[in-house]
Formats: sequence, structure tokens, C-alpha cells
Amino acid sequence: MVERNEIELKLQEANRRQLLQGKIDRREFISRSMVTGLGLAGVGVATKYGVGPAYAAEGRPLTPTFYDWIEGLHPGIPGVNERFPGINYQIAPVQGFGIERFVAESKKSDSTWDVYVGQTPFVEMTSLIEADVIEPWDNYIPADVIDDIIPSIREECSVNGKLYNWPFLLDVVGMGWHSGVTNKAGLVDAAPATWDEFLDGANTIKESGAAPFGATFDAHGWRSVAPLAHSGSSDVYTPEGLFDFTSDAAVEALVLMKKIMQTSNPDILLSGASDGGVNGTPDEVAFSTQRVGYYVKYFNAPLRMAQYWDDPKQLHMGPLPKVSGGEGSTVFWTTGCALFKHGQNKEKAAEYIQSLTYDRQIWKDSIAGTETAHVGQLPPYSSIYKEWGESKPDWMLPFVGLVRGQLDRAKSIDNHLFGLSQFQIGQPFWEAFLKGEESDPRVAMQNVTDAVRAEMNRG
Amino acid sequence: MDRGAEITVPQSVATARKHKIRQSISAWTFLIPALMFFVCYQVYPIFRIVWISFTDFEFLSTEPANWIGFGNYIEAYNDPLMWKSMGRAALFTVMFLPGTIIFPLILAILVDRVRHPLLATLYRLILLIPALIPSTLVFVLWKWMYNYQIGPINYMLVEVFNIFTFYNAPQWLGGTNLTLPSIAIMEIWWGLGYHAIFFLAGLASIPREMLEAARLDGANEWHVFWHITLPRLAPIMMILVVLRFGTSMAVIDEYLIFGGFNRGAPTYTWTVYMYDQAFNIGLWRQGFAAAVGMIGAAVMVFFVAGLVYIFRPRG
Repeated sequence: MVERNEIELKLQEANRRQLLQGKIDRREFISRSMVTGLGLAGVGVATKYGVGPAYAAEGRPLTPTFYDWIEGLHPGIPGVNERFPGINYQIAPVQGFGIERFVAESKKSDSTWDVYVGQTPFVEMTSLIEADVIEPWDNYIPADVIDDIIPSIREECSVNGKLYNWPFLLDVVGMGWHSGVTNKAGLVDAAPATWDEFLDGANTIKESGAAPFGATFDAHGWRSVAPLAHSGSSDVYTPEGLFDFTSDAAVEALVLMKKIMQTSNPDILLSGASDGGVNGTPDEVAFSTQRVGYYVKYFNAPLRMAQYWDDPKQLHMGPLPKVSGGEGSTVFWTTGCALFKHGQNKEKAAEYIQSLTYDRQIWKDSIAGTETAHVGQLPPYSSIYKEWGESKPDWMLPFVGLVRGQLDRAKSIDNHLFGLSQFQIGQPFWEAFLKGEESDPRVAMQNVTDAVRAEMNRG
Repeated sequence: MDRGAEITVPQSVATARKHKIRQSISAWTFLIPALMFFVCYQVYPIFRIVWISFTDFEFLSTEPANWIGFGNYIEAYNDPLMWKSMGRAALFTVMFLPGTIIFPLILAILVDRVRHPLLATLYRLILLIPALIPSTLVFVLWKWMYNYQIGPINYMLVEVFNIFTFYNAPQWLGGTNLTLPSIAIMEIWWGLGYHAIFFLAGLASIPREMLEAARLDGANEWHVFWHITLPRLAPIMMILVVLRFGTSMAVIDEYLIFGGFNRGAPTYTWTVYMYDQAFNIGLWRQGFAAAVGMIGAAVMVFFVAGLVYIFRPRG
């Protein structure tokens, strides 16, 4: 009798698993339960192990939610949605990376959505893991897709060997320049190889009057201090994953920022116009209005800003200059997809994200541009670059090879609960040096470290 | 006779009591919906926040909250950033509050003197336009106006009047010393018509005969304003001062939009600090943030009581 029960349980468990995976429907599940002689016992087993979500999955369509800028910049997304009839496509309530709704729902073991597209690992992934909101993709993502993710990106998206962020859009920090301005200043139409060359060029632009400003950058730490430090050395993280502001490379980066500022738009340190001051920054205004020659930011920024120029073809892009004798690295990050622990349709979500992230139309639009946007964000998969290498599409642009090449030199910002906020907490302290209120960059950076530590030690 | 009187008195008392109870029941029945709304929507959240402020509740943590007594309050009290950010909010209030009373008052007095009915209505309608614009649009509009590089204000100063150059033009927003005055100007403009309508309502309640009698008695316009108009507008002024004191001390949307989370910026006030702690930093220390909020609320209540006293009706 005991043996028979075990067999029945195994059969029922197999049925239940198939039901959860969507291989059989409820009717088939009940029929099999009856055939295997389980009857009501089968229903009992199903209840015990929780068929509830599977029922709900049948009742609710696949429900992804996107950060709104992604939809705005990638008009090909609706095309992917058409391949998933009945999909309940939504825009996420996450203005300024606000994840409170996700967390609040998770506390009630619930989620309105199955997957969130808009997660940047160093920004909010650790918070979502800590709050038990998301789960790894490993049980749902096909093995060949995992293998296809470029290793450095896979590392960025993983915690303890588990993939918590299915990468979608790749951004790498580099530089762009306005050849109309640089030519007018008499500069060679090529990317400066070192920061010394960069500074010479920026000074020449300003002094020649080719443009009011020589160079500009985005003053947010993860877009300036971190990549400039990486150009000297990417070994600027503590063992626990915090940015080491007192490292030589970070201090040199700060000094470099101050030198660049002498040629830049004076409002460079002011906050931006949207997303809590994070976006719509003064550097974007300067570059889009053709008032500056050199520009340091993730590559999609100069591409987007050049759309407003008289002749967008005057945009050229190159790698981030190196510190003389330095490593010549830079910073990259991906914006990807998080799988809600209490979401439903997880297999379907994986299928959808695979379809989304491999969609060739999205990548064509991103690289070649559309009437509405020219984003320049790139895919995270080796196979797509290989495919383009073997058979170059006629719409392919040179910057793709450049960015892909830069990725091999780049390093992501380490994942940490304070991954983003360490730069927000530290900003006033390093700005004290940039504004001349503190003369010693090391003291400024020590103050940053102390402030971050003090905040971490609270509570 | 005496016995009869003894019997009658308790009966009438009982009837009166019954009547009173019946009246109370019907009154409470009508009050219940409003009371429930008040308790659920206002009283409960306040008590909940008070309770949270005595715990180490962290929103992102999966651990249960623990009672820590006055721990959060002591930490907030000893936190220099808390008081610095409170001082920034007070500074903004000092810049904003006089302007938001004086300018609408002047405007209302001017509009009140327009005798042509069509023009008087038209002026009132125009005055209300800014108040009808959604907040987001107002912020976007002024952010553009104040933009260092492409804003019309700096364009006039640099390109038209040549007072400044591209390199030294004023940086209105985004963390400079001009940020708070710039936001105060925006807020005063935004509330100008709305507040003027308050004063116009007050002016309409002053009998014309009283003003004419004063003028006949030889009072000049200043005397009329100072001795008749202003005292009669004092109650309206008190309402505006109290309301606007509360809103100006507790501004947050504008600060988040114009300054973000830069702790060095003048826009990083106690409200932003509270938000930062509750929804941005670490595991989101909402227990501590609640304590900051309660301290802020207590400070505001203290000052509001002072303002009510200053503007109390006299004579």
C-alpha cells in the first residue's frame, strides 16, 4: 500500500510538473489523475504542492513591464509583442529607478508582472535580490543562450553564479567628437589616444574659438569618476564590491575631471532635467547645441545628441583615451530583464525575453537609427556579432565594431547595495575639489569614502 | 400634589434622555462615513508612521522590524545633515513666504479697482491661468527658462543685453546658491493668481461705504489701506501664511526634479533626506525616515502655532 502510494505520488508529481511547464492543460491533468487512480488524492497532491500559480498562469496572460525610455528608444518592441498574442505589455511604475511597487507586492507574495525590462545590475539588482523580489533566470533560460552571453556581461549580471539579469541593451562609455568643430580648430580628425592629447585638443578648440567649450562629460560619478578611473586601472573596487575612491586611479580621475572642466561648459556640475536630475544633463545640452568639441559619455549619448545637429554625419566616436601607461579600460553596463519571484508565466517570460533580445529589427533600428530615435545600444550576444562579422549588413555602422572592441577592455561597476548610491553620497565631497573648496584631491576622496562608510554603518 | 410632581419629573427626564440618545444616534449615523474616512485615511497612517518611527523597519529587508524606542529620534537629532537640510527648507520658506503674500495682495488691490465689468472678469481669468497649469508642465517650463545654455533668461542676459558671457552667466538651477531663490520665484509666479483670488474675495467683503466714508473724512489711500483694508484681510492672510508655510517647508517634488539626491545641493532639504532614506539608500531605512518626518512635522506645528498667534484676530 505504501509502495503504491509512492508510485502514485511520483506519477502525480510528474503530471504536476508538466502542468506547471504548460505541457498539459488542467483538463489533461485531471484526466491523468483519474487514470492513475488518484482521483481526489491527485487534487490533494496538487493542492499541497501548489498548482495555484499554474491555474493563475492560465488565467493571466504574459505580463512584462518596461521602463518607459526603453519603449521610447526602441520602436521595434511592438513588433516582438505581435509574436506573443494576448501579451499584456505594460510600462513600469519605476520613474527614477523606483522599485517600491515591486517590493510591496513581493511582500504579499504577489506580482502584477512576470518580468521587468529596465534593470541595470549595479543600480537596483542587489536591492531586488535583497528584498527577495526577483529570482535567477537559470531554471528558465536555455543553456545555449547563457553560453551566448558575452562573458564579461554574464559576470556583470550574475550573483553567486546565478543569472539575475537577462541582459538586453549594452552601453559602453567612450568618447565622441564633432568633426566640424575639431576641423575648424585645426585638429586631426582622430580620437585622442591619451588624456594629455584629449586635454590639448580641448584647449585648442576653446582657444581657437571653434566652439565655446572644448570638452564635456556627465558629472554623475558612475559616468565620469568610474570610467575615467578605469582608463587608468579597473582595479578600483574593494573586496566587498564598493568603488575605492581613495585608489590612485580614482584620485587621478578626479584631477583629470578638474582639468577637463577648465575647458567645459560652466554648468557641467549641475543636475539634469529629468529622472531626478540623472538625465537631460548639461553635457547633453552642450553637445546637442554644437557648442563643444569633445564629449565623454556612454556611446548612445553622442549618437542621440548628434540627431539635432545641422549635419549628424559630423559625429565621430572613439575609445576612451588612456591614462599614459594606464590600463585603458572603461565602464560598461547592461540594461536587462528581471524575473519576478512571484510572477507567473516564467517559461513564457523566458521565451519572450529570448525573442526580444535576439530580435534583429530592434538591433537594426538601434544601430542604423529610425525616424524617431538613434540609440546605438548594442546586443549582449556573441553570436549576433559573429553573424554580422561573417555577413556585414548594409546598414551596419563603424561604431558597432568600436563599441564591441571597447567591451573587451571594459569592466562593469561591481554589484553592491550601495552600487549607485555610493556615487550619490560622495558627489558633494569630490565636487568640493572640483569647485576649489578643497585643494587636495586625496582629502576629497577620503571624505567620500568616509561618508559612504558612515552611511553604510547606520542602522 | 407633591407625589404627582415626583412621578412627573422623572418621566420627563427619561423622555428627554431618550430624545437626546435618538438625536445622538442619528447624528453619529450621518457622521460615520466621514469619520471612517478620517480615521482610515488620516488618523491610521499617522499612527502607523509614529509606530514605524520607533522601529528599525527597513523596507527592503526580509527581517521583521524591531522596537528600538527613541533610537531613530536620537540618531536624527544628532545627525548634522538632518538639521542642515531643515535649515535649507527654512531658508526657502523665508524667501518664498513674503513674496507669496505681498505680490498677490498688491495685485488683488489693483484688480479690485478695475470698474469695467468685462475687464475685471478678464483680469481675474488671466490671473488664474498659472494655477491651472499642471505642476509637471510648470516645472518643465521653468527648467527650460532657467537653463544655463539655452534658457531664454540667459539668452537675454548674454546675447541681447551682453551683461554676461557664455562663461559667467548665472547658473539658476541645479545646486548653486541661486537655486532656492529661483524656485521661490517660480512658486510665487505659480501661486500669484490663485492667492490674489483669495484677497479679491476678502476685498469684496469690505463695504464700499466704509471706504468712501473714510475718504470723505480725509483719509488718503495709504490710510485707507493700512487702517481699513489690511485689518480686514488679516484672517485671509493668516490662512494663506499658515497654508503656505506648511507647503513651503515640506516642498519635495520641485527639489527632486531640480536637484536630485545631491546632498550638497541647496535643494537637499529634510523632505528629500527623508525620501532618500526611505526609498533610495541601502535597505531603505523607513523607520529612521519616519522619525525624520515626525521631527519635521513637530517643528512645523511649533511654528504654525506661532503664526496663528501672530495673526490672531485683534480688537
